[in-house]
Amino acid sequence: MSSADSQRLATGGGRPRAGRSLVSRALDSKAVLRLLTLAVIAAIWQWYALAIGGLLIPTFDGTVLAFIGLLFDAEFWRAVWVSNQAMLIGFGVTVAFGIPMGLLMGRYRPAEMFTDVYINIMLVTPMAALIPLIIMAIGFGLNARVLLVVLFAIPMVIVNSRAGVREVDPSLIEMAQSFGARERTIWWRILVPGSMPAIMTGLRIGLSRSLTAMVVIELLLIAVGLGGLIINFRGAFEPESLYAVVVFVVLEALLLITIARWLERRLVPWTREGVLAK
Amino acid sequence: MIEIRGVSKAFPGRGGKGGVQALEDVNLTVHDNEFLTVLGPSGCGKTTLLRCLGGLVSWDEGEILIDGRPVTGPGPERAMVFQSIALMPWATVVRNVTFGLELRGVSGSDARARARELIEVVGLAGFESSMPFELSGGMQQRVGLARALAVQPEVLLMDEPFGALDEQTRRLLQEELLQIWEERRTTVVFITHSMEEAVLLGDRVALMSARPGKIEEIVTVPMPRPRSAHLDTVEGSAEFAEVTSRLWGRLREWQVDVGRHRRVAAG
Amino acid sequence: MSIGTGVYTRVGRRHPRLPPVSFDLTRGVGPTAIALAMGIGFWELVGQSAGFRFFPPFSAVLMRLVEMILEGEIIPPLVGSLTNLGIGFSVSVVLGIGIGLLMGAYRRVEAALDVYVYALLTAPSLVFAPILFSIFGLGREPIVGLIIIYTIFIVIINTTSAVQTVPRPLIEMGRSYGGNDWQIFRRIILPSATPMIMAGLRLAGARAVEGMINGELFIAAVGLGAVIARAGNRFDATTVLAVLILTLLIAFIVVRVIKLIDMRLTSWLPATQRGQR
Repeated sequence: MSSADSQRLATGGGRPRAGRSLVSRALDSKAVLRLLTLAVIAAIWQWYALAIGGLLIPTFDGTVLAFIGLLFDAEFWRAVWVSNQAMLIGFGVTVAFGIPMGLLMGRYRPAEMFTDVYINIMLVTPMAALIPLIIMAIGFGLNARVLLVVLFAIPMVIVNSRAGVREVDPSLIEMAQSFGARERTIWWRILVPGSMPAIMTGLRIGLSRSLTAMVVIELLLIAVGLGGLIINFRGAFEPESLYAVVVFVVLEALLLITIARWLERRLVPWTREGVLAK
Repeated sequence: MIEIRGVSKAFPGRGGKGGVQALEDVNLTVHDNEFLTVLGPSGCGKTTLLRCLGGLVSWDEGEILIDGRPVTGPGPERAMVFQSIALMPWATVVRNVTFGLELRGVSGSDARARARELIEVVGLAGFESSMPFELSGGMQQRVGLARALAVQPEVLLMDEPFGALDEQTRRLLQEELLQIWEERRTTVVFITHSMEEAVLLGDRVALMSARPGKIEEIVTVPMPRPRSAHLDTVEGSAEFAEVTSRLWGRLREWQVDVGRHRRVAAG
Repeated sequence: MSIGTGVYTRVGRRHPRLPPVSFDLTRGVGPTAIALAMGIGFWELVGQSAGFRFFPPFSAVLMRLVEMILEGEIIPPLVGSLTNLGIGFSVSVVLGIGIGLLMGAYRRVEAALDVYVYALLTAPSLVFAPILFSIFGLGREPIVGLIIIYTIFIVIINTTSAVQTVPRPLIEMGRSYGGNDWQIFRRIILPSATPMIMAGLRLAGARAVEGMINGELFIAAVGLGAVIARAGNRFDATTVLAVLILTLLIAFIVVRVIKLIDMRLTSWLPATQRGQR
């Protein structure tokens, strides 16, 4: 273990840095390390595909090519739109209902007392298992997919909004009261702005859950959009394209979360201890 | 003039434990333009008393009158400064200072103008657009003070405002507070558990005991005003030593009494 | 008579017990029970009037569940699911904590892996089901693999964070008494990190059950998920809900067990901190 590594464990002293090898210094760069990991993964993958292989195991380079091919395919982008439509609508509904519900639950004890157990149940229910029921109730269309997105995302938004209200510094509320503020003013000027950090965290997690729901229902029952593509590629024994779609989904998830995180930092620059992300 | 007559307040117990008599038959008169400090150990009810004065909390018996009018809730003639400072972390210094003004119906540009005046008075000129997390504790409390002064209160209620700050900042702010006060001569009720602070700042010191909370004694501070220009001399003076040692004596008496009762009870 | 009598009290207990059940309707079990009872009552009423299509009444669901248990038809899938859960979760815990500790302790390891861990954490894990299926075919392996994918990244991230938030003064104290790396690790870092690691395991427990069900729904061959899938295909809402309740019970028990282990391992934490998590 080099002195650089043991800095985690040490108080900060160590050997002087002068005279270390080029390799050692290169390995200090984060980008180099990450690329190295990627290279290792690609190498193992390629080896497995060529040496052991299988009808549904594509090569690394095959996947890369397929991915680039997808980006130029109009059909692909149509599938992307079909999938994301459900996600965006579902997320919108989640935000519109989840935040107010969470805020009310956080502020008024009776509301919370009654709904707490149901929120807890929703948090641990594998929502995917409800898909057959949803289909039975409202069919195979966009509404079913939107509903699942809402079911996946709304518990987290509610829980975080509720926590946000509770975490508002009580002396701020008292301060506002000392200047004669009524409940409405307290809501607008103190509770809502004060809960913003927690609400943003909830939205970020909710966005991630919305994306998950979008994919899950398409993989499990309603084979449209990106999930549908995956199912089709599997049936047609085109593993390169299958893996390529999977990579796309992972990248989309990363992109959305990065945007959400950036927004969080811009809108709520004052820090906050967060509910651990799912 | 503030009159507190026979005020009592009890907090009920929960889950089988007994309640606390926070205030018992508290009598106190605060004269106009007076700087009154309330001194007592932690938990003696002095914060409760201040919150009663501020109209934030109700009491069980007795009455509180301000200029002859009974207190029924927060009012425009009073403003509070909090120990926890209580700045809105999402708002700039200016917005924090205008908060009270806006709630009292002062319009946007007027409020901002008055806020800027006071931001300068408390020595924070140039920091109008800063956010609280960019400021030190002492600077934050100055914002709190500016906010309270902005609404031009007749009575300033201060709840251990410098309690969360370090020694040096505290001394600085004590001096500045006195400077500002000497120009305005608002009525001030200032809570503290520090004897030095109580004597240094106040015209009179009201000594409060704990459980039940009562005003045991009121001591007049003999040092002349203005003091802000030479606080260190004041602190070194003979009168200061005399007053503080008298207060010490009283406090020690009570501690011994309380201690003796406890040991007897434990057997 | 000793001077100290009555002045010192025991500050905490070594093995905290659960709080006593109170009948105060505003606290503790009371509101939960009432809320649940009202919900079940509502369910029953609506179910009876709406007919059996997709909203069977609670009584019917309960009866179906009992029926499945008594006739044993649910036992093989249940055992299958729980076995998958056990294997998958155990592997995730061992590997996840291991990798997390390495990442937390060595900055280079963290820098190399964090992007990928984070990417795989935020991606919808079910999307890897077809891949696992194509590698392992039908059977137990893809489901166990999927459970691992569902849970391991949460464990890694929480463990890494747990190690990194060990208070520096504690480590420096250890150094000042001459501790070497291994001693510091075993006696300071590991115990300090345990609460947060356990918090991660609690989250992972719920995710594991979700992964188990989702995987079985996708593969639709074995386990409870397969039962749900088949029932769904023939529009048998009663069975779907019955198995769902069973799944919820499993999830509840898993999280509870982890919590109990957690309380045992971290009995040194003051009660207030415990309640906050």
